[in-house]
Amino acid sequence: MQKFLRSSAVGLTLLLVLAACQGNNAPGGGSTSGSGAGGGSKGTVKIGVDLPLSGNEVANGQPTFNGIKLAVDEANKNGGAGGYKIEINKQDDAVNGVHNPDQGATNAKTLVADPAVVGMVGPFNSNVARSIIPVTNEAGLAECSPSNTAVDLTKTGSDKLRPQNPDKRNYFRLAAPDDIQGPAMAAFDYNDLGKKNAYILDDTEAFGKGVADEFQKAFVKLGGKVAKRDGQKYSASVDYTSLFNSVKSLNPDVVYFGGTQVTGGGLARKQMVQAGMGAIPFTGPDGIADLGTGGSQGAFITLAGVDNSHDVYGTVAGVHDLPSGSDFSSRYKAAFQNDPGAYSAIAYACTQVLLKAISDSAASASDMKSLREAVRAYVFDASKTYDTALGKISFTSTGDIKQAFISFYKVDPSLNGGKGGWTFVKQQAFEGGQ
Amino acid sequence: MTFRILRLALIAAGALVISWLLMIGLTWLGTRSESFSNVVATGTAQYFSALTIGAIYALIALGYTMVYGIIELINFAHGDVFMVGAFVAYLIFTSLGFGGAIKSIPLLIGILLLGFLVTMVVLGVLGAAIERFAYRPLRNAPRLAPLITAIGVSFILQNVVQVLISNSPVPSPQLVSLEYRFTLLGASVPLLNLLIFLVAVVLMIALQVFVGGTRLGRAMRSTAQDREAAQLMGVNINATIAITFFIGSALAGAAGLIYGLYKGNIVFNLGFDAGLKAFTAAVLGGIGNTVGAALGGFAIGFIEVAAVTTGLSRWQEALVFSVLILVLVFRPAGILGQQIGERA
Repeated sequence: MQKFLRSSAVGLTLLLVLAACQGNNAPGGGSTSGSGAGGGSKGTVKIGVDLPLSGNEVANGQPTFNGIKLAVDEANKNGGAGGYKIEINKQDDAVNGVHNPDQGATNAKTLVADPAVVGMVGPFNSNVARSIIPVTNEAGLAECSPSNTAVDLTKTGSDKLRPQNPDKRNYFRLAAPDDIQGPAMAAFDYNDLGKKNAYILDDTEAFGKGVADEFQKAFVKLGGKVAKRDGQKYSASVDYTSLFNSVKSLNPDVVYFGGTQVTGGGLARKQMVQAGMGAIPFTGPDGIADLGTGGSQGAFITLAGVDNSHDVYGTVAGVHDLPSGSDFSSRYKAAFQNDPGAYSAIAYACTQVLLKAISDSAASASDMKSLREAVRAYVFDASKTYDTALGKISFTSTGDIKQAFISFYKVDPSLNGGKGGWTFVKQQAFEGGQ
Repeated sequence: MTFRILRLALIAAGALVISWLLMIGLTWLGTRSESFSNVVATGTAQYFSALTIGAIYALIALGYTMVYGIIELINFAHGDVFMVGAFVAYLIFTSLGFGGAIKSIPLLIGILLLGFLVTMVVLGVLGAAIERFAYRPLRNAPRLAPLITAIGVSFILQNVVQVLISNSPVPSPQLVSLEYRFTLLGASVPLLNLLIFLVAVVLMIALQVFVGGTRLGRAMRSTAQDREAAQLMGVNINATIAITFFIGSALAGAAGLIYGLYKGNIVFNLGFDAGLKAFTAAVLGGIGNTVGAALGGFAIGFIEVAAVTTGLSRWQEALVFSVLILVLVFRPAGILGQQIGERA
């Protein structure tokens, strides 16, 4: 018996190893090519992509990736960019279903090591950006994030992220930074909802704590009171009820959560109801406003439960009413049979900017290395303007968009046949950038 | 026997009252400007949160301590057994078609009882199987071998759930509606919290009665005391150890089910975090000692909530483990000590 057990255990282990090896050989590696006929005569260049694309992050990453893919496919149909056919080198920075800065850095190294990558879109999360920018900066790769909002990625403190080439910026973004997004929700809570006493909770991450700090400053400046400020790092066994118990008697009339639905936003709302505070509005940044339908994997409404998702408001750091009207949405829907996510159009625009830079610099560049540098120099020429799905846009010399927008959304639990969804409330322009 | 249980009950009741007052005091420290009635209400709400979290840690800690008591193995896979329990309960409830609150009370009780029964049996069998295949062949091997095997089993369980079910949090059905609440001293507490505490207490009393008062329990205690002597007296060692694993894992299964009901989100790696805290609870109470494990579990739940209520939420983990270090410096064997005589 003992012998049989031992040999069967060895056999089982071997089988497992074999199965695992087979899994690795399966097709579908990191690189997907942009489909579509046509393409250029000069060969292929790639746009690198780093987004969280697995687990609960699917709700964030996939619609964003689709925006990039749509732009690349459309460009290829029209002959590519600057005579090149465009491909995508796609990397996933989610580990165990949550975005991971270390994985982001590894992915960035993979992307800069691919000589055909001349521009990059991503990442989705600000803490991932902090570990990616040093890598792409060293390689001089132009990087456009559709959704990063942490202030110090482009403004004060950003030189720390460029230890190798402090004077050669390469990172720019289309989302309005948190010193716009946080104050925007503060004004919304104070003026539109008429709330004066806020409980502010963050997930202690770069993005979450940063945006909550900006919210707090602005809310106090408007005349609001901060009932209490807490930070709770998300972990598998975290519990929020005691936090909400502790503020109940302080009578907050609004809650601001700095973080994402995956780092506790959904659970916090659920446990807020558990603590008997469900009637108080729960507001937060684009981290919770994923615009996903209840029931779809990783969406805020799924994690919070549709029964608990009433009175939830969120901002998206981009424009809602696209100048092209419903044109973008209908093309997106035709390609992916789904409504665009919060950052689909912005990721599409990021890709448009890079494609324009490739197209205009292709003639002057002799090889991939010089093309990569030419693209980087092009996007940091502050005089350039771009016609994108977001309208005419341009950038400051630090890489922030001059035409910043914040859009406000609210959860409507009755949408999608009772599964819940987000509805648009209003949008606000912050012209000029900073 | 009856005297011992009576004494325990008295001590437990005393501890419950004292910790309640302590929590109200700590809440007052955290929110000094508040009116007295507000402090009492907040402290009471916090107290019930602490009892609920503590009950879950305590149920897991029992499995650690029972296994250590009988074969002196720190079963690092135990936290993941708890996690599997949460997922088994999730699969039972969702496959029966229950995704949310059940309105009919008799149906709710029936489904919960069925859930507990099936989850505990499945997990008990899983625990006994882990012992049979991963630990028993190594029973006479050097200490490190089963320890590493336990870590291996932990990773295997996580990996299996990660691949077969989900690699990220899944919403587990909250069968008990949060609308069922009771109000005590101004605090509105979900009935679910009280239910969880009571279920945990019933299971712990059942365990005490089983270990202290049945033939099998006596076999467990004697095996823990001196395995060879017990064998000479006719105790079936293999069966006794298997039963210990069965019971410990069944309790972890119950804890998993409770966790899912309470939290509403479960994830494949939650066993590591919760398991580490529960292991700490077992050491804090005195490893090998079942009463100590329960006490340690509640103590950790209490410290976690106390950290929040005093406004030190960012320091939660440091506080929990500072208390552990302090206790161990002054009482290396834990609060209640190892109780070598009847440590099973």
